[in-house]
Amino acid sequence: MILAIDETRCKGCNLCTKVCPYKIFKEGKKPNRRGIVVPELDRPERCTNCRLQQLYGRTLCGVCQLTCPDQAIHWIEEKPYELKKVAIEY
Amino acid sequence: MSYEDWYRQDRLPHIFCAGCGNGTIINCTLAAIEQMGWKKDDTVFVSGIGCSSRASGYIVTDSLHTTHGRAIAFATGVKMANKDLNVVVFTGDGDLAAIGGNHFIHACRRNIDLTVVCMNNQIYGMTGGQGSPTTPRGCLSTTTPTGCVETPFDLCELAIAAGANYVSRWTSYHVKELEKAVKAGLETPGFSFIEALVQCPTAFGRRNKFRQVADHVEYLRSHSLLRAKRDRLIEAGEPVPEDMFVVGELARRKRPALGVKP
Ligand SMILES: Cc1ncc(C[n+]2csc(CCOP(=O)(O)OP(=O)(O)O)c2C)c(N)n1
Ligand code: SF4
Ligand code: SF4
Ligand code: SF4
Ligand SMILES: [Mg+2]
Repeated sequence: MILAIDETRCKGCNLCTKVCPYKIFKEGKKPNRRGIVVPELDRPERCTNCRLQQLYGRTLCGVCQLTCPDQAIHWIEEKPYELKKVAIEY
Repeated sequence: MSYEDWYRQDRLPHIFCAGCGNGTIINCTLAAIEQMGWKKDDTVFVSGIGCSSRASGYIVTDSLHTTHGRAIAFATGVKMANKDLNVVVFTGDGDLAAIGGNHFIHACRRNIDLTVVCMNNQIYGMTGGQGSPTTPRGCLSTTTPTGCVETPFDLCELAIAAGANYVSRWTSYHVKELEKAVKAGLETPGFSFIEALVQCPTAFGRRNKFRQVADHVEYLRSHSLLRAKRDRLIEAGEPVPEDMFVVGELARRKRPALGVKP
């Protein structure tokens, strides 16, 4: 699974950049086609959900997703699945 | 299965302004409902008029967007006609405490088995920012251009005094706590009231020195006083800070209730 922001829904409020314990969401720089500055993702594979959601069968943490007022944050299937080396942060 | 399945995907994105807290509260409420294992066919959402009250229209179940202030009155009818239904009300501070104030206190008194989630942005958002019964003293709105001089309602104290079985207050910052509180409300027979303080960047924040959405959310976080902490202050005879509001579970009791599933 991989963390993704749905650009058709995000309104650029940047609340996600405040709540992630790993600071995966960073304020974006360029407006998209709709004039919205969507946040950028910094090494999203660090999110526990990307690695463990399917193993546990439920959403872990998920604070960004609950907070996002615009239902724009999801985890989507990765095709093809890529193994990534992730340093565990405390 | 996830709470996202309760959204009408074809109706998203919703009409709320960028950074409006209402969407967060809908997420937390649906996440709590998803955990209850309720069937969509047995669940009904009711709301009144206001930005917050648009919530019911984004959910896949049967719902009614009633006239202003009448959400609880309609929900009472639904519940009394069919006790097997799970009835959840979304409302705003104006909808609940101004025009709908009488329905609110009498539903608490009857202790009817509803769960009411109030998105309290302390303003009439939809109509452009008039002061509401919960606008804090000193705050600017179009009807209080020199600062509000009235004392606001404490909605939770009102619900407790009027007889509700379950009462909690959280904010749009406390997403996990809010989800748990809504779930506890859904599980408690009788009237459950959950107040969620939310940011309204367009009609409230802009006029009240919250230039960024995150500034208002940070204000809500830093001015929340946990109930346990408040109780400790009172016990120690120390003053409770006047600029803070109490968050947490404020009532959970077993008064006789109406409309409970047999
Ligand atoms: C009977 C009636 N009176 C007045 C209005 C105008 N009106 C629409 S929304 C609203 C206030 C909504 O405030 P609130 O419930 O706090 O919702 P918010 O938009 O802040 O979420 C008012 C007064 C109306 N629609 N119907
Ligand atoms: S919280 Fe949601 S809407 Fe706001 S910037 Fe992040 S992804 Fe976009
Ligand atoms: S689920 Fe938690 S860890 Fe993962 S991106 Fe969201 S806030 Fe960060
Ligand atoms: S006016 Fe306020 S409450 Fe209404 S959608 Fe905009 S931010 Fe939300
Ligand atoms: Mg309001």
